[in-house]
Amino acid sequence: MLRRILFLAGLASLTAFGVFWWLTIPATVAASALPAYQPNLANGLTTFNAGGCSSCHAVPKQDDRTRLGGGLAIPSPFGTFYAPNISPDPNDGIGRWSEADFVTAVMKGTSPSGTHYFPAFPYTSYQHARVNDVRDLFAYLKTLPPVAGKVRDHDVPFPFGIRRNVGVWKFLFMDGKPFVADASRSAHWYRGAYLVNSLGHCAECHSPRNFLGGIVSSQRFAGGPNPEGEGWVPNITPRGLSDWSVKDVAYFLESGQTPDGDSAGGSMVRVIRNTSQLPPTDRDAIAEYIKSLPPVEGPPKPVRKADKTDPS
Amino acid sequence: MKRIVVVAAMLALSAGAVVADQNQVKLTQAQMKETGKNAGALGAMIKGEKPYDQATVDAALAKFEDTAKKLPTLFPESSKGLKTDGDYSAGPKIWEDKAGFEQHIASYAKSVTDAKGKIKDVDTLKAELTVIGKQCGGCHETYRLKKG
Repeated sequence: MLRRILFLAGLASLTAFGVFWWLTIPATVAASALPAYQPNLANGLTTFNAGGCSSCHAVPKQDDRTRLGGGLAIPSPFGTFYAPNISPDPNDGIGRWSEADFVTAVMKGTSPSGTHYFPAFPYTSYQHARVNDVRDLFAYLKTLPPVAGKVRDHDVPFPFGIRRNVGVWKFLFMDGKPFVADASRSAHWYRGAYLVNSLGHCAECHSPRNFLGGIVSSQRFAGGPNPEGEGWVPNITPRGLSDWSVKDVAYFLESGQTPDGDSAGGSMVRVIRNTSQLPPTDRDAIAEYIKSLPPVEGPPKPVRKADKTDPS
Repeated sequence: MKRIVVVAAMLALSAGAVVADQNQVKLTQAQMKETGKNAGALGAMIKGEKPYDQATVDAALAKFEDTAKKLPTLFPESSKGLKTDGDYSAGPKIWEDKAGFEQHIASYAKSVTDAKGKIKDVDTLKAELTVIGKQCGGCHETYRLKKG
């Protein structure tokens, strides 16, 4: 009897492990799935700016957005991530990557060695990008200066540090669906929707997340606590931007200036450094889409603790 | 008895100091708000919501210059961690990284000085405000906090 129970228990755990293993196999894009293509470098640059690559991957504390040596610390409730080197350096960057490696990394969140990337890399948004935009981006990145220097390992404690587990996370929070056009809307609106939901990855910061770090889809774009630590990320549905016009949003993305004359702060400053480089029509499209979102109430802001009045 | 008087006096003094610093926070916020308001008026012209008006531009530049002059004294050590009204508060980096903060102020002041006399129409306004606005954002990126 005992042997039988042990046998069944063993079988059950083997099956469970098998399911886990199967469920968490990192997805890839095969080179054979990429037909011959002549990349468009100008569109690669637009993709680079829309995707905000330099916000995290540019070497911190210097002004050149094209030096993608990485190193920026990205704090989160699960640990601190360090943005890797994605410059064309053959040893420390992505100089030796194939195009399929790159498309796989950006759209599947899987590294060339076949492991899961942590979702601090916003592939949950990038998965919706058009493959050709990603191929153009790869060609553009190759034209940038190589930067030597490997970035330190992430500092993510157990159990979040086990990359295989990210496969479960992807199963829960990554739909793998391509972004489809809405026939009832204009091409301009669609361009905005595409930029916001794929490359722009706006929802990654402007949405509340659940205890597993997945976006609460019913409150997408409705803001929430800053995942990087202190402060609050604003609600960018019309609930939060009710007194902003489409023009105000577009001008904000160009200049960082809000309608009341204030300027963006925090991580948004890095975002503006990218969006200010986009073609004006793309900023207008983003603004049109953002203003067309349904108004959604975000999570309640915590009651402020009695702020310190004693300077000691 | 003497001791009590001394202690009471000390307490009164330090309470007075806190009140004074709290007052500084109010003044600082008012100065920044007023600066933003002026920038907003310029933004409205760039967006085409308002016609170009040289007097508004000159008034804004004067305000920017005034702020540039006052900025080095707006965040005394004693105002660290004090309560602020509204959505923002001064970030701790102002005092942790004093050199960096002062460098930002200098670079903002320079952008304002450089813009003087150059703004004559919407196009030149846009060109100059872009430079100045970058300075605002560059500092707010690191030294201002959005409260939860």
